Amino acid sequence: MQDNDNLKAKRNLTALVEFSRVINSSLDLNFILNNVLLTCLGKFLATRGVIALNISGKLQIKSYKGISEESISLFPNIDASEDCTENDELKNFFTDNNLLASEKISSSNECVGIVCLGEKLNKQDYSKDDLDFLKTILNIAASAIQNSLIVEELKLVNRELDSRIQRLSSLFELSKEFGLFSESTKVTRLLIFSLIGQFLVQKYALLRFEGNDIEVIEPKLPVEELLSNLRKIDYHRIDASLNKEQVALLFPSLYSMGIEVIVPMQIQGRTKGLIILGRRINNVDYTDADIEFIFSVGSLAIISMENRRLFREALEKQKMEEELDLAREIQRNLLPQKIPVYKNFDIAAVNVSSKQVGGDYYDIIELDNDGCVVAIADVSGKGVPASLLMANMQAFLQVICRQNVPLDEATGLINDLISKNTADGKFITFFWGILNNIDMTFKYVNAGHNPPLLIRDGKIIKLEIGGMILGVMKTILPYRSEKIQLMKDDVLVMFTDGISEAMNKKSEEFSDEALEKLSLEMASASAETILKEIQSEVQRFTDGANQSDDITLVVIKVK
Amino acid sequence: MAEFNTSIKNQGAVSIINLKGYLDAHTAPILENNFVDLIEKSCYQIVVDFKDLAYISSAGLGVFMAYIEKIRDSKGDIKLSGMSDKVYNIFDLLGFPLLYEIFKSEDEAVKKFTEIK
Repeated sequence: MQDNDNLKAKRNLTALVEFSRVINSSLDLNFILNNVLLTCLGKFLATRGVIALNISGKLQIKSYKGISEESISLFPNIDASEDCTENDELKNFFTDNNLLASEKISSSNECVGIVCLGEKLNKQDYSKDDLDFLKTILNIAASAIQNSLIVEELKLVNRELDSRIQRLSSLFELSKEFGLFSESTKVTRLLIFSLIGQFLVQKYALLRFEGNDIEVIEPKLPVEELLSNLRKIDYHRIDASLNKEQVALLFPSLYSMGIEVIVPMQIQGRTKGLIILGRRINNVDYTDADIEFIFSVGSLAIISMENRRLFREALEKQKMEEELDLAREIQRNLLPQKIPVYKNFDIAAVNVSSKQVGGDYYDIIELDNDGCVVAIADVSGKGVPASLLMANMQAFLQVICRQNVPLDEATGLINDLISKNTADGKFITFFWGILNNIDMTFKYVNAGHNPPLLIRDGKIIKLEIGGMILGVMKTILPYRSEKIQLMKDDVLVMFTDGISEAMNKKSEEFSDEALEKLSLEMASASAETILKEIQSEVQRFTDGANQSDDITLVVIKVK
Repeated sequence: MAEFNTSIKNQGAVSIINLKGYLDAHTAPILENNFVDLIEKSCYQIVVDFKDLAYISSAGLGVFMAYIEKIRDSKGDIKLSGMSDKVYNIFDLLGFPLLYEIFKSEDEAVKKFTEIK
């Protein structure tokens, strides 16, 4: 009998050593649990058994034999405390499933889980020896189970880490690709690829706002339905990402189209577009981290697209400025290239156009009979339309000067032509006159232009006779002309409002008075000197303020 | 710049795209063009072989998502084969094994198509 007991003890010991070796050789939890359960069932000749482990503080069945899945599903939800085996619900579960022996798997400081075994095949009760042996088995198993649990957890953490690294590298890669020079279609395509690849999405759309327009890019959703649903809501105001619950709550019509996530694409807090994604094919909900990722990628993309747009705009602006330079050049060439020299007159003229092409114009057209037409004009507005009208005007003038039409009548004709050629309220202030070198007369018509100054004997005569500005309506009242007999040392100063209204930084105008005073003071100088002095005085006055208007000045001195 | 190229061969009705190098946002359009070409020629039985692929990014994965629906609607499929552990890991991380059949070798993938017939 003694020998028999010894033999039994020796066999038990061998079995325990073998068991320990096997379960400690693996980190696979299922393998370990399976082994523990099979060893127990084999040892005690039991036909059923359950192992539940402490998973985040709750008992959870991890391995079972001989019990139906249905019964397992009824396992109570209880805390994995030190005295969990005393729990009534658990005891009921044991009774229901005919589990007779239960033992905790304990580590040094906590309950790792429990093992419960069904009745023995030989119908004997579990003896104290049996329970002691079970305890021993479970003590050996405890550390192996714990180790494998930790490994499982590590695997999870590693996977989580892998997935974060993968996202970071996606972000990094996209930021590289979304360079300044990427076509926006390429950017949107890459954005879509990355998102659908990352999240397994097949229903999606990318929206971009341009003013009040919505551009739908790469839609895999019914566009009309999407747009009509969007227009019903204040989609411009979507300034934060919306998850599934929020979409369902706020925009049920979009949610019913299968849309689960709406993420704004923003630049400096302003929504410039939306990323709309449907359900993930693997039926997993988007997490907050997912949505954060989508937001980051979306921002990268929209910034890239916006940069490209700004870059193109800058290019276009540059191109336009080059064209304007060309226009200015052409315009300069329309002005007289050289000023004729006369026995009795000394003529000086200048035109300084402001930044844009302008509408100022002066001309000196030599006539066959020893004299010339002197004209000065200011077309309303600036830029290309004004300069076109100015070019038009110049052409008329060149033609009409050859026709020998009296000045007043000619002015009426020019007005009729200009009126016909302007539609949008443009007009021209115009002054012209014929300077006769033989009889020293000046016959002029003033069509609404700043009256030129005739300075004689320290006094100023303003040349105001004429009529209405050009271009407002057809000539009804004929223009009037005046013929002045010029005298030696007379000075004629013609100018545009770019002189009299030149502004300094305090928004004060140079003024007619200042011009008149200066002209009087300079009357004894040559035409060229008077011109230069007026110009530099205006420059001094504006003191570096932007020249807002063209400056044109013609000075004639009678010799 | 990372190199990427593809080569296509046919085995019966099955088209096999072999990927080589780095499939990322930069190179994804190359594979995209392959799919577009095959779809245009009504070749819907496609095996993509990864044995020479060193890296795939989510933009690369996106190409598979973008065309799978159309191909499956046309009674075809894209099957994947020969992934390295590193490449498989990325597919696995993003949940692709649920949606795509992944085989050890090109031959197994091709065989799967012929079996269905």
